[in-house]
This record gives sequence, structure tokens and C-alpha cells, in this order.
Amino acid sequence: MDEEPERAKRWEGGYERTWEVLKEDESGSLKASVEDILFQAKRKRVSEGHGQVRLGMMRHLFVIIDSSRSMEDQDLRPNRLTSTLKLMEFFVEEYFDQNPISQIGIITTKNKRAEKLTDLAGNPKKHLAALKKAVDSTCVGEPSLYNSLNVAMQTLKHMPAHTSKEILVIFSSLTTCDPANIYELIKTLNALKIRVSVIGLSAEVRVCTILTRETGGSYNVILDESHFKELLMLHVKPPPASSSSECSLIRMGFPQHVIASMSDQDAKPSFSMSHLDSTGEPGLTLGGYYCPQCRAKYTELPVECKVCGLTLVSAPHLARSFHHLFPLEAFQETPLEEYEGERFCEACQGELKDKSVFTCLACKKVFCVECDLFIHDTLHCCPGCMQTDRTS
Amino acid sequence: MKLNIDGLLVYFPYDYIYPEQYSYMLELKRTLDAKGHGVLEMPSGTGKTISLLSLIVAYQKAYPLEVTKLVYCSRTVPEIEKVVEELRKLMDYYTKQTEAKNDFLALALSSRKNLCIHPEVSALRFGKEVDGKCHSLTASYIRAQHHSNPSQPVCQFYEEFDAVGRQVPIPPGIYNLDDLKDFGRRKGWCPYFLARYAILHANIVVYSYHYLLDPKIADLVSKELAKKSVVVFDEAHNIDNVCIDSMSVNITRRTLDRCQTNVETLQNTISRIKETDAAKLREEYSRLVEGLKEANVARETDMYLSNPVLPDEILQEAVPGSIRTAEHFVGFMKRFLEYLKARLRIHHVVQESAPQFLKDIYEKVCIDRKPLRFCAERLRSLLRTLEIADIADFSAITLISHFATLVSTYSKGFTIIIEPFEDRTPTIANPVLHFSCMDPSIAIKPVFGRFQSVIITSGTLSPLDIYPRILDFRPVTVASFTMTLARTCLCPLIVGRGNDQVAMTSKFETREDFAVIRNYGNLLLEMSAIVPDGIVAFFTSYIYMENIVASWYEQGILENIQRNKLIFIETQDAAETSMALEKYQEACENGRGAILLSVARGKVSEGIDFVHHYGRAVIMFGVPYVYTQSRILKARLEYLRDQFQIRENDFLTFDAMRHAAQCVGRAIRGKTDYGLMIFADKRYARADKRGKLPRWIQEHLTDGSLNLTIDETVQLGKHFLRQMAQPFRQEDQLGLSLLTLEQLQSEDMLQKIAQIAQQA
Repeated sequence: MDEEPERAKRWEGGYERTWEVLKEDESGSLKASVEDILFQAKRKRVSEGHGQVRLGMMRHLFVIIDSSRSMEDQDLRPNRLTSTLKLMEFFVEEYFDQNPISQIGIITTKNKRAEKLTDLAGNPKKHLAALKKAVDSTCVGEPSLYNSLNVAMQTLKHMPAHTSKEILVIFSSLTTCDPANIYELIKTLNALKIRVSVIGLSAEVRVCTILTRETGGSYNVILDESHFKELLMLHVKPPPASSSSECSLIRMGFPQHVIASMSDQDAKPSFSMSHLDSTGEPGLTLGGYYCPQCRAKYTELPVECKVCGLTLVSAPHLARSFHHLFPLEAFQETPLEEYEGERFCEACQGELKDKSVFTCLACKKVFCVECDLFIHDTLHCCPGCMQTDRTS
Repeated sequence: MKLNIDGLLVYFPYDYIYPEQYSYMLELKRTLDAKGHGVLEMPSGTGKTISLLSLIVAYQKAYPLEVTKLVYCSRTVPEIEKVVEELRKLMDYYTKQTEAKNDFLALALSSRKNLCIHPEVSALRFGKEVDGKCHSLTASYIRAQHHSNPSQPVCQFYEEFDAVGRQVPIPPGIYNLDDLKDFGRRKGWCPYFLARYAILHANIVVYSYHYLLDPKIADLVSKELAKKSVVVFDEAHNIDNVCIDSMSVNITRRTLDRCQTNVETLQNTISRIKETDAAKLREEYSRLVEGLKEANVARETDMYLSNPVLPDEILQEAVPGSIRTAEHFVGFMKRFLEYLKARLRIHHVVQESAPQFLKDIYEKVCIDRKPLRFCAERLRSLLRTLEIADIADFSAITLISHFATLVSTYSKGFTIIIEPFEDRTPTIANPVLHFSCMDPSIAIKPVFGRFQSVIITSGTLSPLDIYPRILDFRPVTVASFTMTLARTCLCPLIVGRGNDQVAMTSKFETREDFAVIRNYGNLLLEMSAIVPDGIVAFFTSYIYMENIVASWYEQGILENIQRNKLIFIETQDAAETSMALEKYQEACENGRGAILLSVARGKVSEGIDFVHHYGRAVIMFGVPYVYTQSRILKARLEYLRDQFQIRENDFLTFDAMRHAAQCVGRAIRGKTDYGLMIFADKRYARADKRGKLPRWIQEHLTDGSLNLTIDETVQLGKHFLRQMAQPFRQEDQLGLSLLTLEQLQSEDMLQKIAQIAQQA
């Protein structure tokens, strides 16, 4: 998130035992704390994704956002709903950034019903607008896991087999109100190869555990807001494709951006095709991307051509999703005591204070934990190596 | 893996071991070495059963002359089956490792109802009916009649077993109840009698407590067990109550009425037999003159487990003349019955000791102490002589005769209380005579006396020192083990106040207080909003639960709770409760979430496990003190104070806390499990209460969580549940709470293990 959410007044907040966070564990290593385990898991993620796996690059993802009564809980600031939607905006942007040829759709569930907020589409604008609007909606009643999964399934089941079909549920409530046996639905989802992942906002719910286990998704429960963001970002990365999914060639167009300068007399302002169905102000623009097949004009990429159905992307987009296939190799972890050398992280220039340091195997530069994660999760290239490349 | 426990090679059928299991085995080994008794407390879900079995089996294999048999006593049939399954795993491991053929015989024994394969008899629904029907097909005189008159039905399975079953020993192996039945069907032998016979030479016997503790049954089943056996009582936290129940007798007016019919039947049968077969009665008479010498000889050679109902003295004497003939005995019983009826016709409560009762009966109806003592034996002999087929019909008179024998045998440790009505319904006359045992050590004494080692073990035995005192024995090892955890998966919290700072307690004075009830309701409401899936709430009694739930309903709290979770209630009706339980589990399973309201000391609190999502939180509303106005309890407390120097309050607190620990322990059934334990009563914070909780709960109870408000509890609970929901894999446990063989052998791990056991 760009800005910190404004802190609630002290008396509005819950009862917290801030001092306990600082407390050292006297009982020694006998009781490793949950944080330790989490830290291990974090590292594992980085080192894990390095096998030669096929990734489902073309994703169809439905995000189900619980909007039931429990979303009004204030343990995330200012409340769960606002915080979630804000993170979702960030997620949508990041998602399209990293998966340019994928689509997303949003479903909300409240009052025992499921409602489609936006349909599966490849344009972030529309989703962002819908998310912004959803902030003002009220949270009432109970969610229905069954209904919302069913709505998502109805669309996803028509998607071609070579795409990765996913559902991500952000589940705040601890109960669900279902019209039928959910275990039957889980079986159907499994048969359709739809992967369901859940991020829980309050605690581990049994039915979600089963749901994710059966469909091959992941189930996580947030600890706090930053952990929430971290978990959400995990879903930005394309998941490994199941070995049974088909492969197929996809036709794509790489439209060129034609910049028409005002001085050019021939240029006439024109409408973009994407404005056809939007009610927003119809901007007349000069330049734009023109579909190589039918010459329809678009102002933004990636998009599916409305006229001929061709997927239009830009080359940098495709290149960006490329890095998933050739990820940066994991850095070597060494305990701080054994490390001899300058005690500064190469990236953030901060002092190395954590238990262990991380060395890039190529350039032998040293990084701290946070930077290590940042490099692997966001940058996807080692700043040390870049530097040496340039100098050499 | 193969372990070296203090010089003993132990085969352990799993690849990993918990440190506390290792420690447990060390203590157990020491106990066996010393040929003494032990009290061991280890939390449930840490593999107590397999540790016990692996060590004792290894010991049996290493020193076949020292320990010849393992007698494993458990409480319920499912538990028995579980033990046998563990044993099977162990034995499979043995065969795989040593590649020698298994020569161990282990079997489970249960009642006829669970073992019968006779097509008609096994179709009956109640245990009593099955027993009665079986007896009517297998009694010796029935079979003799069958000999002369083939139309008399007998059980062909028993006949077959009797003909050949005893000569051919059952092949070595592990038999659970179903295996026995299969084996019986294959051979055409009766599995029940086969099992009864086979326990004599089996290496391991798994059966219910009652076969060893209840003198009436122990006499039939267990009296020939070898002295060099190791006896294990698992889940033994209630063993004193089992002992007491097995020695106590309750007589109502209904019992007496049925007894009356029994006596009449007896009389008719006698007069009939007298006309047809007077020789039989004469024969019995002369046998009684001979006395019970046979039994006496057997006891002297120490072959039998002595029967506390049948005291030593009467074995040396002949049955007194006054009840030697059948008619006299029936007349005697009639008089005794009339006397009891008269005693029940009262309007106030009477409490007296056994000698007082005997004096009174002598004065009123001239019944002496001596014939009373022989009552049970005499009745048994008579029933045998009269060839009465259906023993089940005679349960009333058998009960009365047991009472007669017990009351005249023991002058100490028993009390007689006659109540004209129940306390709750003072207008309805419902007289009951309680002949109540106050000293659990009477029933268990022969067990301690006879067997080389007796191990008492459970998840909750704290405080450890009280069991040796009330059971009157001297253990060589007393130890409590904690649970080593890779993450703190239990979270005990004591909630003492509501958000309005009003103290929360189920104390008698404030029980009806509106504020307390409301706060309890709020606590449940708040918890229902943050705890996923299942919550189990325990109340101190059914009446209290009814009152509170009614009050919650009026205040609209129930309605609010139902928005979060469904509510199920345990009732005294077993069928209703099991239905509620089933639906409760369904609701937990499919994500709706549910709350089960139940009662400490009830069925749910004792036998039902709430693993994982079935119990994410347990709330204990109030301290589950036993109903202190009960006269039986008062008498027992007095006895404990006089005889064992245990103060009333100590015992009551001990009893309440062991039940509270049982209740909250329902939720944690293993190391991967997690759950909140909420004690909603400020009295739990007091050192005398807290100190009586098992060590594995106590050590997670920090000073900061002793007197919380509802708000604070919610915050802590939320935090805990989120922490626990983080992914947790087996690798995280390795090296801390789960060890491989190499890790186990490292120096500092051995040092750590030494700290796990705490000697009391």
C-alpha cells in the first residue's frame, strides 16, 4: 500500500499486549515461536520455486470477497472491508502487471447470496473502478461459500483447458450459509480442475481447509495487515500448471503505438474501441494502439480486440511474464557469525542484524533478509549482478 | 526404531518418537524393575498407549520369567479396540524386524453381548438379556438335560468349544473382538468362552476395568490370572469412583417388589422339586455341611485373586444351620425382605453404620450376623441346585443377597443411608436405601496385593499424591510428564470478570445473579464470533445449565449466538445426546459452526473426543464441584477426613479440578491439534485450584492470563487462533517435539528429556 492507513484512536483500538511482542522467550529453543516457523516458510517459498515447472501463464482468476457482517470488524484499519478493498486494488494492478495475458473477475458475497461485481476481463480499469465503488457498500448477513463458488464455476467451466482456472476467496466470516452440500461442489470443482485458494481473515475454518486441499490450492490465515498483503501477493505469481492441462498455441497481436502529433494535419481524433461499452466520458484521442488484424483502435493494453477477438499485448508485457519462467536463483544463506566481511547490505545499505545473511552466487554480494525477499519477489534480478554487468 | 531404554532393547513401531514417550518408558522400566506400583500422568495425544505397550512387551520378551502377562484395563469398547490396533502395529513391526514368527497371544475380552455369535442370542439388544439367554443355553444342568432329552435346546457353539476347544490352544496372534468372532465362526466355537479360557495363557489381555475391580465379575473372570502380571489401568482418573460403585448397593422399593416375586418363584420351585427329586436337595445340604473348603484350599495356595465380597473367615466355616436347608433359607430371605420393607417405610432420612444396622435387625427380626454373611453364597448354591435357567430374572434377589453379605462383613468403610424421597421432589415418596462404600481401597486392595506391578495412568491425575492416599497403596514411581511442543498449541485463559468488571463465578450465592448470567452469555457470544467451527461449553450441572439457557433466551443472547453458530444441548437422554453430537459434528464439518452445551461429569465430558475442528475452544462455566448436599458425599468426606486425613475442601477441590481438566482436555488430542481452554470463573485463579490442574496445562497458564475480562479474552483468543492457523508441518516439529533416533541419542536431548518427568 502506498500510504499507511490512518491509525485509529488509541481508545478505539482493541486490547493489545504490546509488551509481549518484545518479550524474549525464556524457555529457550524448546518452544520455537510461530514467527520463526513463518520466517522459515518465507525463505522456503523463495528457494522452492526453482524447479523446472510449467506455469499456467494464462490465468482466469475469480476473486471472491466476503462482504458479510464480519467484514465490519475493526481489527484491520479502518475496518476489514476497506482494508481488503484497498489491498485488492493493489493486487489487481500487480496482477496485470505480472500476468499481462490473464483475466480477473470479482464476486462479492453477503446476505447468503453471491453477486458478480465484475465479469472476467483483462482490463484493470474496470475492476479498479468497481472496487472503489464497493467501499461504500454495507456489510450484512452471512456469506455463502457455496453460492459464490457456484457463480465462479459457471463462468470458469467454459474456459479452454489450456488456461489456468483459479478462484481466490477472501474469507472473513467463520460460518457459511449453504443451500446444499458443499462437499459435492468441491468434487465438481476438482473434476473441472479449478484451483481454489483461500485467505482467511480471522481463523482456520475446517471447510476451507478441505476445499483448498481437495482442489490443490493454498489456505492461509492472516496475522496482520502486512501479512495479509504478503499472502495476497503470493497469488500474483502464476501457479504451476497441472501436468494434465493441454498446451496450445495462442494467437496474439502486437499493436504498435502510433503517436500522432498535433502538428500532423492528417491525424483526426478518434474514439477508442474500449469506450464503446463504458459510460465514462468519451475521450477523443489522437494516437493509440491499432489492432494489426482489423485496425481497431485501443488506448490501453493488454486487451482482447472487440472486433476480431485477438489478444493484444505489448512486447514488454510478455517479456515481463517471462521472468516467471527464469526466476532469479536463490541466494545462499549463511549465519551472521560465520560471515566475515562488511556488515552492510548491498541493496539497502543497512546494517546486517538478522540471524543470517544472503549471498548471491553469481556476484558474491551480500544482502539482508528483507532485501533478499524484495529482490526475489519484486525485482527478479540481482542488483549486484546488474552493477557488475555494466562495469565489466 | 530400536531404542535402548536403560539397557533394555525396545522395538518402537514408528520412525519418530516424542521426547516425553522416551521419558515415560524410562519411568515405566524403573517401576517394573522394582516390581512395584506406579502412578504416571501424561497428556492425551502424546502416545501413552504405544509407549506402554512397546516397553512392557519388550520387557516380557527380555525377562519372560519376571513378567508373564500384561493385563491392560481400559474403560470402553472403542478404547479397547484402539489398544488392540496399536498392539497389532507393534507386533507387525516385531515380525518385520526380527523375522521370527510371532509367538505372542494377545486378545480383547468384552461382555457376551459384544462377543456372541449365536444367531438368536446375539440378536438381543440388552446385555442382560444376552447374558440370561446364554446362561439358559449353556448352564451345566441344561446341558445334562440335553443329554437325556435332545429336544432341550443348547448352544452348539459352546458345545463345540467344550468338546475340543480346550485341548487346542488358540494360535498366537492379536485378536480384537471381531477377530475372535471370526475365529469362533470358522471353528464353530463360542468366542466368549474361548476368550475367557484363553486369557489364562495369553500374554496380553485387554479388557474393561470391571473384570478386575468389580468383585462379582472379577471372581468369575480374573481370579486365575498369574501373579507375575503387570496390570495397567488406562484413563484411570476416575478409578476411585469405579471402585466405589462396584461395592455399593442401592435398593429401591421396586427392587424389593421384584425380590418378593423371586422369593415366591424360589419357594414354588422348591416345593415342586421336593415332590419329584428330593435327593437333590439332600445332596446340596450335605455339600453345605462340608463347607466351602474347596474355595479355601484354592485361596491358600494363592492361585486365586481374592474376592473382597467373600471374606476369608467364611471360607473356613460351614454354612450355618439356620439357612442350610432350602426352605429355611427362603424363609430367612423372606424375613430379611420384610425387614427391609419396613425400613423403607419411613418419613425422615436415616443414616447409620453397618454395626448399627446389624444390631437393629437382630432386635427386630432376630437375624444374626452370621447367616447374613453367607447369604450370597447360599443363594448361588440354591440357584444351582434348583436348575433355574434364566438367571437374569433373579437379579433383584441376587442384589439383596450381596447387600446382606457386604453389610455383615464390613464394619468399616461403609454407610447406610435411607432417604424417603429425592431432595428435588420432596413430595413424591421414593424411598431408597443406599448402601454406600466410602473407601475405594477395599475393592482395589486385592489387585494391589496380588499383582506384581500395577500402573495407574491417565492424562489428568493431578495432584499425583492424592491417588496413592485414597487407594491406600505405596507406589515406587509417581511422575508427571509434560508435552513438548514446537508451538504452544494450548491456550488456557482464566476469565474472572465481565466487561462491566462484575466478577464471574458459579458460586452458590451469586448463581442466580442477573449480571453473572449475562456476562456468561456475553462471553459465549463473543467467543462464538471469533472461534471457528466447534465450541464445547461445559456447565456444572444440568439444572444450572437449564436455568442459564432459559435466562439467556429471555435476554435474547441465544438469538445473537445463533447468528454465529448453531446450538446443541446435551441432555440426560442418551439417544438425544448422541443425535445432538452427530448433528454438531456435521455442522462443524460443513462450515456452519456449532456450539455444544454440555455438563461436566456427563457423557460428553468423559468419553467423547473433540479433535481438531470439532473443538477449537472449550469453555468451562464455573467450577464443577460435586453436589455437596448429597448425604453419600458427606459421609464419604467424613470418612476420608477420619481415615486418611484428607480435608473435605481438599478432596472437593481435587474432584472438581480433575473434572475441569478432563473437560478442557477434550479439545487437545495431539500435538498438531490446537484449542483455547477458557476457565470462566474467578476462583480458578486461586493457587489452590490452579495448582491442582495437570502440569501440562499449568505451565502454559501465565500470570498475565489469570484474571481477564471478556474483552481481553477475545483479543488473546483472536491472536492465538490466527497464530495457530499458520501452516504447520511435521518438519517444524522435528528435533523439538518429535525426534528421530539420532536426535534422541544426542547428549543435550537426553538432558532435556530428564527434565520432562517431574517426580511428585
